[in-house]
Amino acid sequence: MKQFWEGVFTKNPVFVLALGLVPAVAVTTTALSGLALGLITAIIMVVAAVIDWLLVSHVPDNAKLPVRVLVLILLVVGAYSLLLRENPGLVASLGIFLPLVAFNDLLLQPKDEEGSLAHILLGTCGRGLGFALALVILGIIREFLGMGSVFGQQIVTGRLAPLSLAGSVPGGLVIVGLLMAVVNVATKRGGELHD
Amino acid sequence: MTNGLEILAQAVVTGNLILVHGLGLFVLTRYTKNVREAASAGLTVAVGMLVGAILLWLCGSIIPAAPVPQVGFYLLVALAASCLTSALLKQDVTIERRSVDSAIVGLLLLMGRSGVTGVHNVWMALAAGVGYLLVLVVMATIRRRLELAPVPRPLQGLPILLITAGLLAMALLGFRF
Repeated sequence: MKQFWEGVFTKNPVFVLALGLVPAVAVTTTALSGLALGLITAIIMVVAAVIDWLLVSHVPDNAKLPVRVLVLILLVVGAYSLLLRENPGLVASLGIFLPLVAFNDLLLQPKDEEGSLAHILLGTCGRGLGFALALVILGIIREFLGMGSVFGQQIVTGRLAPLSLAGSVPGGLVIVGLLMAVVNVATKRGGELHD
Repeated sequence: MTNGLEILAQAVVTGNLILVHGLGLFVLTRYTKNVREAASAGLTVAVGMLVGAILLWLCGSIIPAAPVPQVGFYLLVALAASCLTSALLKQDVTIERRSVDSAIVGLLLLMGRSGVTGVHNVWMALAAGVGYLLVLVVMATIRRRLELAPVPRPLQGLPILLITAGLLAMALLGFRF
């Protein structure tokens, strides 16, 4: 279980490893969109890990990354098609960032785990959950600051105009940076990259 | 949007891929430790964008109209552009991850969404590449200065880099209103 909890907390993809920052900054304007994209990415990540494990011995080293991207493209197009049929509003709200999951640097990062499928799946599930958790936390903070609501429920009515920047990309960059610093304080680390 | 200067201004300032759309943050966080590295990474991604746009221009007549195959098509073009860029620049795509960047696929998807077609794809990619390169070089310069600044330990490195990028992006937002 160690690698599972590492992926969620001590090696959180967003706040510690600085991976998957594009959706973290661009999509998490609301808690719901953060949760949706986080879960979609986590599911695709787990399925891709199983396919990767099956293909690993059949693909030459220099073709591993293009093959991984190709597998991700197939999975993302499948997910896009399914979501477009079931929830077109969600697809519209995620915009270009749903197809971009295929090029998410968290999913393209070479895996350092070796061993059984169960071992790899445990690590991947941890990273996926850690990524989804980070996106939800960011979504809650940004939605609250930008619109005064959380998951669409209005919490405060009056708000300061400059705080609406929290819903924009510049605000997202600042909030992600500040949360990384908070994690560094909590883990007693400096802010240098830990990968 | 037919004026070249307008396309350039939009790509560099009001529609900057990194600071306004939040794309290409992997390269921003990994390849801006010095100006030379940032310029090299920026050029690689800019070439990738150009190759992708040329592919889109050449394949303009076979872009599917239905949304699902269209998304798949743009993603495959982005993958082809990344692999071609690596081959052109003689980089190993497995080690040099710069050419497989979200900014390339993001730009292609944005161009598809805004209905840009034909040779305009190439001009837009050129302008977007210039904007991307410029931001990386500026951020690398700022990063060098930040190393000498008395930044509290938890903020050192990436947190202060992202906060600085956010403040720079806020300045660019001023041009949009």
